[in-house]
Amino acid sequence: MELNSRVPSGSLADKWDNHQFANKLVNPANRRKFTVIVVGTGLAGASASATLAEQGYNVKTFCIQDSPRRAHSIAAQGGINAAKNYQNDGDSVHRLFYDTIKGGDFRAREANVYRLAQVSNSIIDQCVAQGVPFAREYGGTLSNRSFGGAQVSRTFYARGQTGQQLLLGAYSALSRQIHAGKVTMFSRREMMDLVLVDGKARGITTRNLITGELESHCADAVILATGGYGNVYFLSTNAMASNVTAAWRACKHGAGMANPCFVQIHPTCIPVHGDYQSKLTLMSESLRNDGRVWVPLKEDDKRPPSQIPESERDYYLEKKYPSFGNLVPRDVASRNAKEQCDAGKGVGNTGLAVYLDFAEAIKRDGQATILKKYGNLFQMYEKITDKNPLNEPMTIYPAVHYTMGGLWVDYDLMTTIPGLFALGECNFSDHGANRLGASALMQGLADGYFVIATSIAHYIGSTPMERISEIAPEFDESRKNVADRIHRLLRNSMRGPSGKVTVDQIHKELGRLLWDNCGMARNKAGLEAALAQLPDLKEKFWNEVYVPGTGTDINQSLERAGRVADFLEFADVMVRDALAREESCGCHLREESQTPENEAKRDDAHYSHVSVWQYQGDNQAPVMHKEPLIFENVTPSQRSYK
Amino acid sequence: MWFIRFVTSSIGKKLIMGTTGLLLFLFLCTHAAGNATIYMSSEVFQSYADELHSHPLIVMVFSLVIFVLFVVHAGLGIFLFLENRRDPGCRYAVNTRVVSNSLASRTMPYSGLFILLFVLVHVFGFTFGPEHVPISETVKVMLSGFFYGLFYIISFIILAIHLSHGFWSMLQTFGLNHPRYNVLIARLTYILPAFFLLLFGGIPLYFMSGAGASF
Amino acid sequence: MSSIDLTLQIWRQKNNDSLGHLETYFLQGIHTDMSFLEMLDVLNEKLTKEGKDPVTFDHDCREGICGMCGAVVNGVAHGPEKEITLCQLHMRNFRSGDTLVIEPFRSKAFPIRKDLMVDRSALDRIIQSGGYVSVNTGGTPDGNSLPIPSSVAELAMDAAACIGCGACVASCPNGAAMLFTSAKISQLCLLPQGQPERKRRALAMVETMDKEGFGNCTNFRECEAVCPKSISIRNIARLNREFLVASLLEG
Repeated sequence: MELNSRVPSGSLADKWDNHQFANKLVNPANRRKFTVIVVGTGLAGASASATLAEQGYNVKTFCIQDSPRRAHSIAAQGGINAAKNYQNDGDSVHRLFYDTIKGGDFRAREANVYRLAQVSNSIIDQCVAQGVPFAREYGGTLSNRSFGGAQVSRTFYARGQTGQQLLLGAYSALSRQIHAGKVTMFSRREMMDLVLVDGKARGITTRNLITGELESHCADAVILATGGYGNVYFLSTNAMASNVTAAWRACKHGAGMANPCFVQIHPTCIPVHGDYQSKLTLMSESLRNDGRVWVPLKEDDKRPPSQIPESERDYYLEKKYPSFGNLVPRDVASRNAKEQCDAGKGVGNTGLAVYLDFAEAIKRDGQATILKKYGNLFQMYEKITDKNPLNEPMTIYPAVHYTMGGLWVDYDLMTTIPGLFALGECNFSDHGANRLGASALMQGLADGYFVIATSIAHYIGSTPMERISEIAPEFDESRKNVADRIHRLLRNSMRGPSGKVTVDQIHKELGRLLWDNCGMARNKAGLEAALAQLPDLKEKFWNEVYVPGTGTDINQSLERAGRVADFLEFADVMVRDALAREESCGCHLREESQTPENEAKRDDAHYSHVSVWQYQGDNQAPVMHKEPLIFENVTPSQRSYK
Repeated sequence: MWFIRFVTSSIGKKLIMGTTGLLLFLFLCTHAAGNATIYMSSEVFQSYADELHSHPLIVMVFSLVIFVLFVVHAGLGIFLFLENRRDPGCRYAVNTRVVSNSLASRTMPYSGLFILLFVLVHVFGFTFGPEHVPISETVKVMLSGFFYGLFYIISFIILAIHLSHGFWSMLQTFGLNHPRYNVLIARLTYILPAFFLLLFGGIPLYFMSGAGASF
Repeated sequence: MSSIDLTLQIWRQKNNDSLGHLETYFLQGIHTDMSFLEMLDVLNEKLTKEGKDPVTFDHDCREGICGMCGAVVNGVAHGPEKEITLCQLHMRNFRSGDTLVIEPFRSKAFPIRKDLMVDRSALDRIIQSGGYVSVNTGGTPDGNSLPIPSSVAELAMDAAACIGCGACVASCPNGAAMLFTSAKISQLCLLPQGQPERKRRALAMVETMDKEGFGNCTNFRECEAVCPKSISIRNIARLNREFLVASLLEG
């Protein structure tokens, strides 16, 4: 596997310009002769579809939901970063670049991150022009807030629904192109396979989720914008349909999977309360601005929080990190919560939660002020838990939230398969080992609105391509393979459920295994144990799982079964990656590699690289390749929040 | 053509309902003002009627306009009622209305039809009533009758219910919905129908109770 | 944490062409901390293990923002609690022994796909006919070049909060999509960016709305009452104004 990152020459600030100039173009009149497939309609997919269609390409866009407006980008709450420096507090493109690369613990590619910071300003302009109702100051200018521990106010927001508003902006641009006939929209379709012709990505096989029909679609380039794989853990803040299937199918055809073990675990989620639970709900990180995190000083203290006197409380974040206190980065806050619960100090029914207490803030600022800031969050919390945070502390626990790893892409966002591009959370490119708050929306839209168009033009302009259609034998074969697999998944369905397990049972087992061994803190023994258990789980799945119904109808159990089958294969690469990276960095904490104060210790001498995994076959270990990370403009430093 | 497109659109039809409703409401206001003279004396009332009928052209044009308004308002209302019923109202096994005060809005077509019936009876009773008898005398004779009077009172109650949704609904259709005035509108939508109910309903009551025996 | 026993009557329908019926299920030991959809998950696991066909229902984010889920519970879209979607409804709203009748969002414009799953693409087509600012990517002016009063941005945001779940249509006795359409029209007519296409947008979106088979608005206010995002019918008033002005002056 050749990993040519194609980072352009020149100084960091000139690279993007140089690259755009060096890239080949496609004449506007010629663009209508080319078709591009976009899978996914989140921020990256919807913006890419709209932008390519505006430029004249024919676009076929696919989404799994009933409407492109429902992709999970919609659930992002906090905001979107940009280096506008509207607040005159010393922000700049370079500072946004530096913060992002440092936040990622120096495991991202400099050139990509710098470009992200460069185009961030255009994103805001674009969204404003689309009619996104960002929060405004009384004077009518855009309002900003500081987010996720940033030292400047660079986050633009629309109440607690920034993701929704940005997605609806991209969706509206997409809708306009659907109306204009430039985008053909295929909703309720799941991508089941990638189709390669002459080694180039030329199409996909999809399953129509309503009729069960397998459909072939051919194109000149394929863009995956299919999001992250957080649902491999079963419980996460991701939407129920989020999956790794599209990306994993691409891996099976030769795309490299980069840093799959980099998973962000968000510290402020509502804790798990029962084994029936289907998903976790994120509470905005901003709560930590006023809430104080604590656990009882004694182990197994079952008293209600109001009966635990001040002297018997352990405000462990404030004690351990006097300068940052409750505002330490996500990974640090998450790990410390786990540490306390592992030590038996966890609270709530399950012992897997810590308190987030607003009593002092309410006393200091008054109930009205606190409600004004967090009213909607308090309400959401009360709806779910039936407890009012004004009267008793919230309980929180970390949950899987975002995956920094993903398909390996070069500077053009092209994977190791020619003609296959990956955008947004689906690729690995910008966040390194940890993503900063309000950066996911920025990356998705940067990729879709401002990066992908020149990449597509360059690829099409520089690649000789045969005219093909869906009757090419490769499409036939792909459909046959997909049909076979569906048939295998359904082979127990005739024999009835006696003694069989359901898809969710296996998925929960997989999630538990990964959460325990490849979650917030990882060690060699645990990872090896998980790796050893995965084949059994996989075998159990294929032998014992019972999927009701048929493949020629709406069958949600079958949809889930297909996704879990891919998660099971993917989990193997993920654990191997965590095992191979014997350092701690960002969200990846190897217990063997810690500073004396139990902080993550990076090992730049051995692990300053991107791990890219190449699929070798169903029962063979994948092979790891390395893309070295070279830092010419920043000096990797050890993060310290003491 | 834009006008055809306008009147065939869903909002266009609503706006026509609202406009004709408003004009009928204004007519009701003038009618109420005229009828209020009953409470003064039969002479004042009779002179008002005589004065009115000394301008036959005005009366004719006025009547014609009101007739057209009635036809449009009732005709379109029935059309909308039937059109909406194509999407069956009872499409759920359990029907629950969340909005508490929806009696008026739910019964608009029925109250409307009843008012139409009332108008027919009223017009045939008075406008085309016995000639050569002074109108003040007709009023007294007819409204003193128990069933006739009762019919009138019931009609006025139904008119008030119809208006209590209609008035607010009309303003909403015209786009008049602003937090600053909504409280006022919400009050007026009950006060105005109540006022009409008192004023109109008082007349048959006045005669039925015998208070108007010396009219 | 306590648990309750429930009788469920759920609408089962194979597809839009077949006839549907209410089927009765009994569920015991439902935790009151469960969400409504988790309760349905429990039912589906049970049905699967019994060899029966699980109930098909749409759902995705399960945090009340994607607009994918929705059903009519005892005659009320998204169930008895106000300002939430079905996924945020928790079982503590019910008592042991309750009977819940669960039906899909019904409207002439929403064909039933299976059980509780309906096709709401008509709403997408309303947006496609004009629910956007026609601006291409790139070359847009600086975000601060047009000042927008904070109050206007907030009003626009109130309308823009719509999640497109279709509860307004499902609850309207006439099956009207006025609240949905008016929310998008309001958002864009309030903002300066939406001005150039203001009239054209109102005409086009209303035309599509009518064509898709949605009913007439007769100001029942049921839509506003069940809207999980509390979209106000003030937006419908605004749409009426926009449409009147556009009809008189445009095209």
